[in-house]
Amino acid sequence: MPAVWLIEDTRGGPGTQEVRACGRALGGNCRVALLDEERLGPYAPGLYAEALRALIAQRDGEDPERSVVVLLPHTYQSAEYAPRLAVRLGAAYTASISGVSIDDRGGLRFRRSILQAKLRADVRPKTRTVVATVQVGAFGGADPAPAPADVFEVGRPADSEEDQEREILGREAASGGGVDLASAERIVTAGRGVGGPDEVSVAADLAAALNAELGASRPVVDNGWLPREHQVGSSGHVVTPDLYVALGVSGSIQHLMGMSGSRIIVAINKDREAPIFSVAHYGIVADLHDVAPALTRLLETRRSG
Amino acid sequence: MRIGVCIKQVPDTDSHLRIADSGRGIDDSNLNWVISSCDLCAVEEALLLAEAEVSRGAERPELVVFSLGPARVEEALRKALALGFDRALHLVDEALEGGDALSDGRALAAALARERCDLVLAGAQSDDLGQAATPAVIAEILGCPYAWLVMAVELDSRGKSLRIVRELEAGMNEILKLELPAVLAIQAGINRPRFASLRGTLQARKKPLRREDCSGLGVDPGLVGAAGAGIETEAVSLPPAGAGGVVIEGASAEAAAGELIANLEREAVL
Repeated sequence: MPAVWLIEDTRGGPGTQEVRACGRALGGNCRVALLDEERLGPYAPGLYAEALRALIAQRDGEDPERSVVVLLPHTYQSAEYAPRLAVRLGAAYTASISGVSIDDRGGLRFRRSILQAKLRADVRPKTRTVVATVQVGAFGGADPAPAPADVFEVGRPADSEEDQEREILGREAASGGGVDLASAERIVTAGRGVGGPDEVSVAADLAAALNAELGASRPVVDNGWLPREHQVGSSGHVVTPDLYVALGVSGSIQHLMGMSGSRIIVAINKDREAPIFSVAHYGIVADLHDVAPALTRLLETRRSG
Repeated sequence: MRIGVCIKQVPDTDSHLRIADSGRGIDDSNLNWVISSCDLCAVEEALLLAEAEVSRGAERPELVVFSLGPARVEEALRKALALGFDRALHLVDEALEGGDALSDGRALAAALARERCDLVLAGAQSDDLGQAATPAVIAEILGCPYAWLVMAVELDSRGKSLRIVRELEAGMNEILKLELPAVLAIQAGINRPRFASLRGTLQARKKPLRREDCSGLGVDPGLVGAAGAGIETEAVSLPPAGAGGVVIEGASAEAAAGELIANLEREAVL
């Protein structure tokens, strides 16, 4: 059973539960390294990597026979500095894992999606210490897991040089208002499969008939077919509506992370192998340009009847 | 000023992927290879930065493209040259094959350090393995400031620092100032990559493309490629098809729509 470090934050940000659940799946020999911005100062990648390295390295000699696993959530902050922590610890690194296992001889295996979630890979670390980020939403996601009792507060290291070369100028909202995906009960999302900017109306019409908000996948936003405030996915909004209808969305890992907590998921896509079908409760394998207008007509008839 | 951009050649994600007989990877005998999408945005961002420098009357930065991989990678490098890069460096050696983010980062950092790049750009994550780690490893080894998921880049007028915007959770962005040299991992959507012109493609054939092996790079073959990797892939597999969901297939559009609505009524979401 490996010694497991769970990297947590006093603010209890996204991914905390998943990291704990992953620690439990690794045998539960866990301790927490607690990051406190008040103690450490504002986040900077070099600072956090160094502070964690110092704590983990200091305790490393306690049980040299045991392998060491350092788990962080795969979020915008921790996935930025986690590879740097791995380099400093001389550890292996793997990102956004969704499963773990230990074989008879104590060998660790991590499961992760590759090639835009079309395949999954089982990887093993070749070093005694491994740093891994845990996919938000994996390991049963929202099930509350108890915090381990063994908590170490992360101390402030001497300033790292590269963080003196980095200054925070401010924060801003990435997108304008007007679209409220977070509290929407129903969302219809346009994916790259809608085909182009003039064809987004097929999704907008269905959204109107369902009294739903209009969402967009990342490629749709990146191509300028819809403004960024419509984007669903870990880099946009995480949504959990009652009904989520994905039109021509293939289902990148980020997109699935952003919407897989929805109560009922409907996917309409021509490609039967699209990863979106792996989370859909109802899947229609067909051309969305045929099915979505048919749905819109039926819903309108149903409403007026 | 010199801007280095690291690109990775990956299988086209629209290609039909087949698991290799070894079960440890995909069958690469019949794939289309392309520049990973975020890396292509990094290429475009370097071109835009160079154009911005010229338009404010400064010297045009030299643009150098780097890629690690077998002979096929040359096509990706030529594409960056066709788009306007000045020269290319191809890290090619049997000992460099089969690496992970750590070992590839080591090899690329060695090449970037030799070329003394003031600014290094790469994609935020690759379309194949998606570890989102190689640029961070490069920054760590070079001892540079680093930002991931960069959505805007501006060089200051003295060419000493950058003003960048990076994505945070929950639809927020952070605005940062970084001193050069720095490493930036560029997020998809920062720009719309241009297409190469015919003239560019013809010129690219004559632009310098240098090949470097481990000894040329001055890296220990034991620390790069498969030997230097921290992780090893044991098996790849297909994800389970459908999570026990209802699949409607082969019906007419009206029939499929009707069946779906009946199901949604039963689930009480309509």
